[in-house]
Order: sequence, then structure tokens, then C-alpha cells
Amino acid sequence: MHLQKQERGSVLIWTIILLAILSLLGAEVMHVVSAKYVNAVQSAIWQESLVGAESGIDLAVIELRKSLYPAPNHAWETWQNSPSDGVVSHGLVTIPNAGLAGAAMKIEVSVDAPATLIDPKNGWQYYRIRTIGTLPLNGPARANDNKQDTRLRRLSLFADRFVAGPTPPDFVAHASRRTEAIVRPVSSFDAAIMSVGVLDLTNQDIVIDSYDSRDPAKSTNGLYDVAKRQQNGDIATDGNLIDAGNAHIYGDVATNAGTVSGAANITGIERTDFYQEPIPVGAPNWSSINPTPALVNNSATLTASAVQGSWSSRYMLSLVSLGGNQTLTLAGNPDGSPTYIEIYVTGDISVLGTSQIVMQPGVKATIYFAGNVDITGNGIVNSNNQPGDLQLYGIQPTSGTPHVNLGGNGQITAAVYAPGYAVAVNGGGSNGHVFGSMVGKTVTMTGVTNLHYDEALGSGGLINNYKIVSWFEDTR
Amino acid sequence: MKHSGRGKIRTSGAFAASEVMIALTLFSSVCAGLFMASTSLQRCFAATTDFAVNHADQMRISDYLAMDLRRAVSVTAAQNDVTIQIPAYYDPSGNPQTPTLDGVGGVHYGPAGTVVAVHYYLSASSIFRQQGSDPAAALAMNVQDFIFNVTDSGKVVSTRITFNPIFRSGGASTAAIAATAVYNTTLLRNSRRDMVSGVY
Repeated sequence: MHLQKQERGSVLIWTIILLAILSLLGAEVMHVVSAKYVNAVQSAIWQESLVGAESGIDLAVIELRKSLYPAPNHAWETWQNSPSDGVVSHGLVTIPNAGLAGAAMKIEVSVDAPATLIDPKNGWQYYRIRTIGTLPLNGPARANDNKQDTRLRRLSLFADRFVAGPTPPDFVAHASRRTEAIVRPVSSFDAAIMSVGVLDLTNQDIVIDSYDSRDPAKSTNGLYDVAKRQQNGDIATDGNLIDAGNAHIYGDVATNAGTVSGAANITGIERTDFYQEPIPVGAPNWSSINPTPALVNNSATLTASAVQGSWSSRYMLSLVSLGGNQTLTLAGNPDGSPTYIEIYVTGDISVLGTSQIVMQPGVKATIYFAGNVDITGNGIVNSNNQPGDLQLYGIQPTSGTPHVNLGGNGQITAAVYAPGYAVAVNGGGSNGHVFGSMVGKTVTMTGVTNLHYDEALGSGGLINNYKIVSWFEDTR
Repeated sequence: MKHSGRGKIRTSGAFAASEVMIALTLFSSVCAGLFMASTSLQRCFAATTDFAVNHADQMRISDYLAMDLRRAVSVTAAQNDVTIQIPAYYDPSGNPQTPTLDGVGGVHYGPAGTVVAVHYYLSASSIFRQQGSDPAAALAMNVQDFIFNVTDSGKVVSTRITFNPIFRSGGASTAAIAATAVYNTTLLRNSRRDMVSGVY
């Protein structure tokens, strides 16, 4: 009996020891698993907070784009103010989160416009966008078991690392990430051809390439030189169809999830992820103008001014209708020094037959139009031979699709931005050359042999968008 | 009585050698079984812990690489040795610098052309990250079996990190090692300075 009792006790002790070992093992497993689980959750929240920070950049760019639209554009309405030099616009957005137990994501955005970020060449303002994305930590406010994880994620467990001073009583442990982006304006003439809808180059052996009139290595005396041809003659559509017509395109081709037919001679890449809503052009809002003439239907002279934006060189015409040998002269200074002229044509522009619009040397013209445009071959003489010196903007139509027809066996040196218009470049022949850029609701080129995009246009004209040129995550 | 009494004494007083041997054999077998089970359990536990620690190391290295790649302006990649150049955002005091235009449509922080090199490398069974002239920090230790590869596709850079799991004493198979891979594909936010890009 005594021996049997001792045997039972031994079994009990061994069982307890075994259970203790297994319990220790289980506790250690739980400890490891728990630490890794907390690490995984914290890592996920830390990743999500970057999404919040980058969304803040998008929010700021949206406001910047709004500011480009004709008034009233409601830009910066829910923000503290409009950004400028030394003035920071601040916005705070809190959005529900589908994941992470519905924890709300906080996005703080600050935008300013430092004077040091003004491009001296064209006066364009670059903007600085600073954002902080924040998400509360769902799990316990526990530091990671590895100090490198702690250094990487810099979680705010007991105090906000971006806010100095005492911790508020309602402080919640969270993950925050901070980014800084610089955005620069993008010209409305950022590509050789941009179309909202169909872009049709037909099948006429068209050549599209580029040059840079500012760079002697990419042009000769500021003019196109085939020996210095560049490969930035990009064409793009917000639609899904480009008929390249086997054109020789020295550049990239981009659609919005679409297809490119006749793409045998494209030197660049084909993208399908393109979309850029063109900013509509509103009617000029000039406080004063030169009242005469009120229209042009015969030979006439409009005088440019050495002062850009001067009332004396701002004209509002109900129409321009030229035929026969009639000439509309845009007169500048006799010495060819730079002069500026702005013309708003509320009706149609028609330059037919052998009539011409002649820009004298040094004249830089901006023409806004609200009606149809028909200009035959060699109908515009741009004496400077710089497409940036003749910019044509189509006022966004309220209904219908007016047209812009440029035609004939001759040269056209101009930049056309008419995203509400059907733009067609017709005619062609051995002397058919277009120097500049075309933006239209649809763009069709028929029989034109060459389009040469001047890359200098990319730093002029109306601002059509903002592009991130610098991005940095501030990990302090 | 005498005979039967002597017989009783022999029965209860001692075991035969064969009985002892059998008992010892059984006891040894049970002990061996327990020992093997215990060892196996411990090895499995060690391997699982090692796997979890290695996975956390992978995640950390991957996140560090992705963080620097996002803000990179150039990347030089080799196996277990990657150099990423990032803008010189901070001044010597560690405060952000004011950006200035570079004249060709971009901006830079600090003097033109200034960048900060971030170097990732495997050395002495640790993976280090060294930013500029700062002392190298060990991101993960005892990771001599780690392999991190960076595939540079221009605007997009992918990373792949593997290690050798230790569940089998004979060593992990190629398939088992490949199964540990942690991938990360990062879109570089900045234009690269080490290659011409006509798209972005």
C-alpha cells in the first residue's frame, strides 16, 4: 500500500512538471506571437498613414487645379486661405477608414508659395505641399521589441512627435507620416498633340517630332532642323483611340486604356494610363480694351504694345472675316523689339483665299476665339517663326462643337489650345509643315506631312495642370 | 513450508537479470522517446521563433528600402548591396532646407547636385543601413542567410528578400527558401537623375 502511494505521487509530480514545461512553452509562444501581432498591426497602420499623407498631396493639387478654372472656381473655399509667399493655406480632412476597425484617418495639408519657387523665365509659381497622415493605433501602446522597428516607424505612443508641449489629456497613440512635395505648373502645350477624344492622323505618312528653339543643340537659330530632331513629339488622348495611320512619331503615344492602330513607326513607348482633363478657357475678363476696330472684315492693322497687358493692345472683335488679298496686320515696333497684343474674337475667324493675318517681327499675339476658325494655307504669317509667339485659345463652348480648320499646302507656326473644338489640320503636300502644338476635343490631321513640336512651348502658355517634381518623406 | 517459504522470498526479493534488462530497455525507450519529443519540440519552437524573427527582419528591411526608394533620385543595385541617393532635404543641423529651382523644371535642396547616399549592405552576418556619413545602423543581426535583391525597372523598383528556414536539419530546400520571399514594388516619386526618362 505504501509503495503504491509513492508511485501515484511520482506520476503526479511528473505530470505537473510536464504541464509546467508545456505552459512555459505556450507562454513563450504567446509572447512571441503577441509581439509579432502587435508589430504587424503597427506596421499596417504605419503603412496606411502614408496613404493618408499622399492623399493630402492629391487634395492640394485638386485645389490648385480648381484655381485654374474660370471663376467662380471655388478653389480653397474650405481652407484657411489661398496660399502665397509666407501665407500657408491649411486644410484638415478626417475620413472614415474601411479597414483597421473603421479608425478615422486624419489628413493635414499645408500649402505655401515661396518666392524662391517662382520660375524667372515665365513667372510660374511652384507650390510647396506639406502633409501629415495620421491613424490611431488599434492595439496596445506598446513599443516594438526591436529598436530598429521603433526607429523606422517612430510611433507616437505617449506624445505627438510633431507637436511640442505637454500631451493633451485626450491624446491617443497613433502613427503619423509626413511628406513634402513640390509641384510645378504644366503648360497647356505639354505635348505635340493632345485630344480629349479621337486623335486621327489618317494615313498620310505624317511625321511628328520635336525640337527646342531655346537650345542650339536641338535647333538651328531657334528654328527646326531635321538634323537635330528630338524625340519628344508626344501625342495623347483622354479617349481610347488613336489612329496613328503609320505616322512616324518621334515620341510617346498615350491613351486612356485604349488602343493605338497604325503604330508601326512610333519610336517612344505606348502608354494606356493617360488622362488629363484639359482646363477650359473662359472669356477674357479685361477691365478696359482698345475699342476700335469692333470687327475686321477688310484689311486692317492692329497695333501691339511694348507693355504686356496694356489696354491699348487689347481688342475685342465680333468677327474676323478676310478674303481675296485682304490682310490683317498685327503691327509691332519697327526695330522688331518684343511687343504684345491680345485679341478676343467673339464670333468666327475666317481667313480664306490668299488673305492673311501677318504678324510683324517681334509681335507676340494671343488670340481668343469663341466661334469657328477657318484659316487656309499660309493664312497666318508668323514672322518670328516661333510657335510660342502665336497662341490661339478656344473659349469653351456652352453647347455644340465648333471647329478649327487650318489648311493648305503651307506653313503654320502656332500653338492651338481648343479642348472644346474639333481641330483639323488639312491640306498638306510637300511643303506642309506645322510648327507648334495642337489641343482639341478631337484632332484630325489630313494630308499634312509634318508636325514639329517646339519643346519651348512646354514652359509657356496657359497653365493646365500641376505636376509633382519633388517628393520627400520627412522621417525626423 | 521451508521449500515454499524459500520460494516466496525468491519471488518478492529480487528480479531476474532478464527482468531488469527488460525494464531498463523499456525505461530507456520511454526516456529516449521523451528526449526525442522534447528535442523535436524545442527545435520546432526554435525554428518557428527563428521564422517569426526573420520575417519581422524581412519586413523591416523591406520597409526601410521602400521608404528610401520612394524618395530616391538614383539607385545602384547589386545582390546584398544597394545604394540609393535621396535629396539632401536636411541641413547639417537636421532641419529641412528651402527648395530652390534647378532651372530645368525641377527643384533641389541645398547646393545644386547635392544628394545623400543611403547604403544597404550585408556584412558580418548583419544587414546595415548607412545614411550619408552617419554611422551604419544594423537593421537586422544574425542574418547571414539573408539575400536581398533589388530589381531596377526605372520608375519602379522591386525588392525581394529571402532567408533559410531551419525546420529541417538537413537545410532548407530551394523551394522552401523561395517560399520565404517578401516582395515589395515601389514607385519612385522623383524623377531619376541617373537615367533619361521621357515618360515621367
